[in-house]
Amino acid sequence: MTKLQAKNIIKHFDHNGNSVVALDGVNLNVEEGDFVCIVGPSGCGKSTFLNIVAGLEKPDSGEILLNGKPISDPGPDRTMVFQEGALFPWLKVIDNVEFGLKMAGIPTDERREISRRYLDMMQLTKFADSYTYQLSTGMKQRVAIARALAMDPEILLMDEPFAALDSQTRDLLLVELQLIWERTKKTIIFVTHNISESVILGNKVEVFKNRPSRIKKEIIIDYRRPRLAEDENLQQYYHQILDELKSEVIARTKDEIQ
Amino acid sequence: MSDTVKRHKRNFDDAANAALFIAAFIGIWQLVFTLGIFPQISLPSPTMVAETFAKIISDGTLFWSVGVTLGRLLAAFAVSITLGTLVGFTMIKFKSFGKTLNSFSAGLLAFPSIAWVPFSILLIGFNEFGIMFVVVMSSVFSIMISTYSSIRNIPPIYLDAAKNMGAKGLLLFRHVTIPAATPSLIIGLRQAWSFSWHAVIGAEILMSIVGLGHILSVGREFLDMSQVIASMITIFTIGLLVDRFLLHKLEDKIRAKWGLDNHR
Repeated sequence: MTKLQAKNIIKHFDHNGNSVVALDGVNLNVEEGDFVCIVGPSGCGKSTFLNIVAGLEKPDSGEILLNGKPISDPGPDRTMVFQEGALFPWLKVIDNVEFGLKMAGIPTDERREISRRYLDMMQLTKFADSYTYQLSTGMKQRVAIARALAMDPEILLMDEPFAALDSQTRDLLLVELQLIWERTKKTIIFVTHNISESVILGNKVEVFKNRPSRIKKEIIIDYRRPRLAEDENLQQYYHQILDELKSEVIARTKDEIQ
Repeated sequence: MSDTVKRHKRNFDDAANAALFIAAFIGIWQLVFTLGIFPQISLPSPTMVAETFAKIISDGTLFWSVGVTLGRLLAAFAVSITLGTLVGFTMIKFKSFGKTLNSFSAGLLAFPSIAWVPFSILLIGFNEFGIMFVVVMSSVFSIMISTYSSIRNIPPIYLDAAKNMGAKGLLLFRHVTIPAATPSLIIGLRQAWSFSWHAVIGAEILMSIVGLGHILSVGREFLDMSQVIASMITIFTIGLLVDRFLLHKLEDKIRAKWGLDNHR
């Protein structure tokens, strides 16, 4: 069943008075339970696309359908894990995880129970009463994932959530995220500029073209899980994506120099 | 050494340094007095000021004056906070209004409080409301501008994250906008407090028949420098105590909770 559909999404930006085309007709179908990774050169508009799916930005034209119904505003049915710094420093870890449930008007006891469950899943139970500044970057991102999952969203959106982590922590979280995906059966869209990440996580990898962006190629990765970063059999997918991306990165670099 | 012991030791050291500084100050004052550089009527000795203190404390003048001044200040400050935050919120809600008002902010913030006195006397008169008006006008803009800029400077990612989790309208405002702006709001509050303090003393000197500013001005009229100095010391002490033990403590507490003091 199609969970999410992006139809011909077009988005312009105003850059020093010039109109720049960020997204030039992005079409994407995400099936229920898919783990879709979007890769592309930095600045290609993949985060913009995710923000549009989340409802945080509006497209100039085109529409997003969730379960067949068009969406426009942000909503807890599409929770986002941001790159970093999106946890609220004035709240304890557990209150951060509960935030969305509180907004939804769920009674205290019930939301305590739900948030404890997700903190437990992310192995953060001991830190429930800490403030976020007391956590490492990796722990913060695990809180952010717990916070997003606690809302039990229709679809989980992840915007380079591991970009700020050291490689050991990242490798660990890459495995954890696969386990969580298998356990919760969530539909996930995961944006990254890191090819390995996309190969390890995605069952579909969408390669974004440089600006004006659209999807250049979809690569299906049918390979057993949990996949590990050091698995050599993943190399063939890696190179397949790299070949697609190389010309885009070169084009991107030219754009930036000019 | 445990943290509490360390903290006690640090507090003790700070207090010892402050005591030393005050002792040195009084020493120099006594020296200038003994050398007879100024006539005694212009510069009394520390002991003479202490005697005046004893007198105005025992006849109740000091407590009465401090009470009246603080009463006026608190009433006016409450009005300032209410009005200032409401206008600040309005500036956020109506963007072009906010932008316009904000462009006048430098002039409004730098406007000397004492310059409101003639206007207030003619508009309202020599009464409590006249004094309060001066205090309100001297602090309300600081509250207003700090409310506006504190909210505008909230990192957009907090608001995005909150909206993403279904927060909007009043819920968003109460659970995200206000807490996210708080550390910066407190700084504005401290500034407004010090503006109010300047204003209430100034207004009392010129417009009042009771209060700290008034006994300061009476001292001048009766050539009683001891009373002038005693009033000044009282004004200094209250300003220091309120900031140090109320506003600064509050700010420290919020900063610690937010993890803002962990820069190394």
